[in-house]
Amino acid sequence: MVTASSLTKRFGELVAVDGLTFSLHSGTVTGFLGPNGAGKTTTLRLLLGLADPTSGEALVFGRRYRELDDPARRVGAVLESNDFHPGRSGRDHLRTLALAAEIPRGRVEEVLELVELEPVAARRVKTYSLGMRQRLGLAGALLGDPELLILDEPANGLDPAGVHWLRGFLRRFAEQGRTVLVSSHVLAEVAQTVDQVVIIDRGRLLTTGPLGDLTERGRTLEEVYLELTARGAR
Amino acid sequence: MTAQLRAELLKHRSTFTNLGLLLGMLGLVLLAVLLHALSLPADRLDSASNQVEVFRFGPLLGTLFAGLVGALSITGEIRHGTIRPTFLVTPRRGRVLAAKIVASGLVGTVFGLVAVGVAVGVGSAALAARGIPITLEGGDYTLMPAGGIAAAALWAPIGLGLGALLRSQVATLIAIFLWLFFVENLLIDFVPGVGRFAPGAAAAAITGLDRETLLAPALGALLLALYAAAAATAGVTATLRRDVP
Repeated sequence: MVTASSLTKRFGELVAVDGLTFSLHSGTVTGFLGPNGAGKTTTLRLLLGLADPTSGEALVFGRRYRELDDPARRVGAVLESNDFHPGRSGRDHLRTLALAAEIPRGRVEEVLELVELEPVAARRVKTYSLGMRQRLGLAGALLGDPELLILDEPANGLDPAGVHWLRGFLRRFAEQGRTVLVSSHVLAEVAQTVDQVVIIDRGRLLTTGPLGDLTERGRTLEEVYLELTARGAR
Repeated sequence: MTAQLRAELLKHRSTFTNLGLLLGMLGLVLLAVLLHALSLPADRLDSASNQVEVFRFGPLLGTLFAGLVGALSITGEIRHGTIRPTFLVTPRRGRVLAAKIVASGLVGTVFGLVAVGVAVGVGSAALAARGIPITLEGGDYTLMPAGGIAAAALWAPIGLGLGALLRSQVATLIAIFLWLFFVENLLIDFVPGVGRFAPGAAAAAITGLDRETLLAPALGALLLALYAAAAATAGVTATLRRDVP
């Protein structure tokens, strides 16, 4: 479903992603973890065709994202929490995306209802709180009813009720046989939501596998994570 | 590409950016036309060539603002980050840019139409109010508006191509202003043989202005179309090759 093979991205001297290999299976929620600057966002950008790898390959449904025929109906993604024109209403933002993807207008209202933004949909995005922007971004990702969701730090700015709602939403999404890749650095939150993890540091894979395998013998995800990333720093 | 075009047209309609630009352009056209039509002595406004100098602010400002519309249609998306969802939904970036070229060309045409219409209408009314007879001939009256609108339509893709290359909104807008109002003036004043081939001079040439210095209107149109194609091609090529910001 999602595969990275020897994925590498250099920016001049800096190696942001360094020979990364991992894959995701359908019906799972995978937590994509690593310290700030580990290369998480760059990896997601490579998967989503916004950046091209220096070497290696990132495939989604067996193809490069830029070659997918109808990407909005297969993949939904949110990379930044504020990718909106401040003067455009939330509803019009979604309508521009729906028009480009040839998604019926009624679906815009459906996703607005789903993320509970209907009451403010006519307001300009500049009046939205961070939590509302996160939900608007998610609504955009869900427009095409995709099989795969890729979210970069989706819990940022959500209040406890919002985090709870998001966790339930992602679990239900995966239970329908669909797939989620979610990057985060809130480990306590991740431990409650994901069933697989991919942990990277300085562009390299530290470990990947089911959360249950990592946290056997009563260790917490935090302990495992800190040990792995500390070893990488040495 | 129809789907992308409809999306781009909605982007133009769903913010106040274009309305603000349109109002700014109208204000400048009114100011420039009225200042000339009302404050110059009557004996400097009676010949056809003098009257063209009054009306020319319509095509000139229409062209400038169409260029700004084109530039903002890509740099605005980069600045606000909407370029990411745009390219996630349509990862064939060439389709998005083709739609942007058509959409901003259409909006640029409207800007040209409004600027030329207001300049000719208000300029004629101001001259009539002072009792100065209009000495422009039918040919001038056709060529200037038609040329002004065509120049605006072609300057939108020029602005867009430049914006796609530079990517910074501020840098693109400054570059367009500096080029049209500073560099080209210097070129026309000091090396007119070179300056007449510049994109702003080509736009002025289409409207039939100053035929001693500038190119013939048809030649100006052809040259400006080449500039538009070159700028659009450069912008598309750069966008296909570089990573999305």
